[in-house]
Amino acid sequence: MKTIEHIPDQGILLFKTCMVTNEYPGIESSSTYAFDRLGVDYFVSDEQSCCTGLGFYFDLFDQLSTTAIAARNFAIAKKKGYPNITAMCSTCYAINKKACSLLNGNEEVRTKINSIFRQAGLDDLVYEQNSLDEVDNFYHVVEIFLSKAKRIGALNTIDLSGVRVAAHHACHYYKIHYDDVIGNPENPQLIDTIARSCGADVVEWYEDRTLTCGAGFSQRHINRETSLKVTHAKLESLKNAGVDLVLHMCPNCQIQYDRYQPVIEKEFGTKYDLVHMHISQFVALALGANPDKVCGFRTHSVPLDDFLNRLK
Amino acid sequence: MSEKATGTLSGYDTPECETLAEIVKRSLRTSDSIGIDRCIQCGACTASCPAARFTDYNPREIVKRVMENDCSVIGDETIWNCFYCYTCHLRCPRNNSPSQVVQVLRQLSINEGTGLDKIDMLFEYGIIFAEIGVSKLPPLFFEQMETDFDEHWLEFKENLDEVRSELGLGPIGIRDNGRGEIRAILEGTGFFERVGRLEQTATTETDSKQSFRRDGK
Repeated sequence: MKTIEHIPDQGILLFKTCMVTNEYPGIESSSTYAFDRLGVDYFVSDEQSCCTGLGFYFDLFDQLSTTAIAARNFAIAKKKGYPNITAMCSTCYAINKKACSLLNGNEEVRTKINSIFRQAGLDDLVYEQNSLDEVDNFYHVVEIFLSKAKRIGALNTIDLSGVRVAAHHACHYYKIHYDDVIGNPENPQLIDTIARSCGADVVEWYEDRTLTCGAGFSQRHINRETSLKVTHAKLESLKNAGVDLVLHMCPNCQIQYDRYQPVIEKEFGTKYDLVHMHISQFVALALGANPDKVCGFRTHSVPLDDFLNRLK
Repeated sequence: MSEKATGTLSGYDTPECETLAEIVKRSLRTSDSIGIDRCIQCGACTASCPAARFTDYNPREIVKRVMENDCSVIGDETIWNCFYCYTCHLRCPRNNSPSQVVQVLRQLSINEGTGLDKIDMLFEYGIIFAEIGVSKLPPLFFEQMETDFDEHWLEFKENLDEVRSELGLGPIGIRDNGRGEIRAILEGTGFFERVGRLEQTATTETDSKQSFRRDGK
């Protein structure tokens, strides 16, 4: 069980994420901006690779290859002295935790992967059992922000009174390793608590709160119609609850909502007055970050200009 | 020593066993404590499932067929409707995980060849990842996104490096000290060998389908 007292603010490896890198780079610059402002000790590595989660859940990557790639990233984190691997994406978080658990608990997998490293002359990547802990060394940025929610609220520069905010807690954060969720995995409150500390009017239970975003990895591509039906159902329930801003914690969900909202409006003949952002972008904005130069909102598909003007 | 399996690369995700339930239990993709034998067919999974809400997919029934060792479930098209959202995994009162069960079934289906058409557009993904250490969507997916999204998105994608640099971010690809680490690791696990084999089967199948059509049968 992880509790809020467990959340570190030192030795954080901010784990880079493919969908942040390629789709919403502003999530990364917002995370580092917020960490700087909050005094979090972190490191971003140009050696760290993707977690392979996209390939894994597309059914292409196998568990051994995914675990071996994770072991390489773990070696980088340890070598640099930043062993608290902290993701901006819920899938990176889940993939890394599972890989660590296998490397610690499955001798055959650990031996196999270490022998691959040695044969390739990559001895410095060899994983030593229990050199990382699957609970104590793996976090999501939302947990770091939650542990500093009061401070964020005190430093908040934007007026969110009357702004209806709803959370979409990403499935791969709270449904896979449900024992390690801070709070009740049937009703996670991490994003809600942070938004509330900034004075937002938080909508707790909208109808489809726990429904997946609809991306479903290959579903978006091989079953596009079903994928969009799910997202449409969720957007409808957010609209019915009068939500203005949806906060995310996973770039894949953010693609599904922000990039596909205009597609759904066209294909389902409807209209949404809803904007989307990642919790890192929200915290950075609250702490006074520039919406374009730090938050990178220009890369979004649903424009945020009107929403941001409302906050002034 | 763990009971989880060994052997060829496929042996880790789909170990050779007598029954489907054993394969599921011994697969590296599933939790060590997976409660497939404990399933009481309560249906909490199906009641919570987004795929069941919008399609014919029924995780309770899929698990039942695995428990009964009904191998036809491997070829059941509905297994490709799961979102991997893990809601069933969270809700199951017996620590079973239909979401993980389906991952193993899909791997079996890919190995058999019946599921190859679901991943054949992805083969390039591994090659790009080995080169730059970052996941990128393969061209076919990109084409769909180009159709779906507006010019604003395309313009952003074309200027990604510039946008990143304005945000104070560095290049996309990773630095690996010239050691080709990602490629070496994936060669070591047998990833490329497996994908190469799958690619070959997929090509042969496409060819035979095409000649089938040409023959007009």
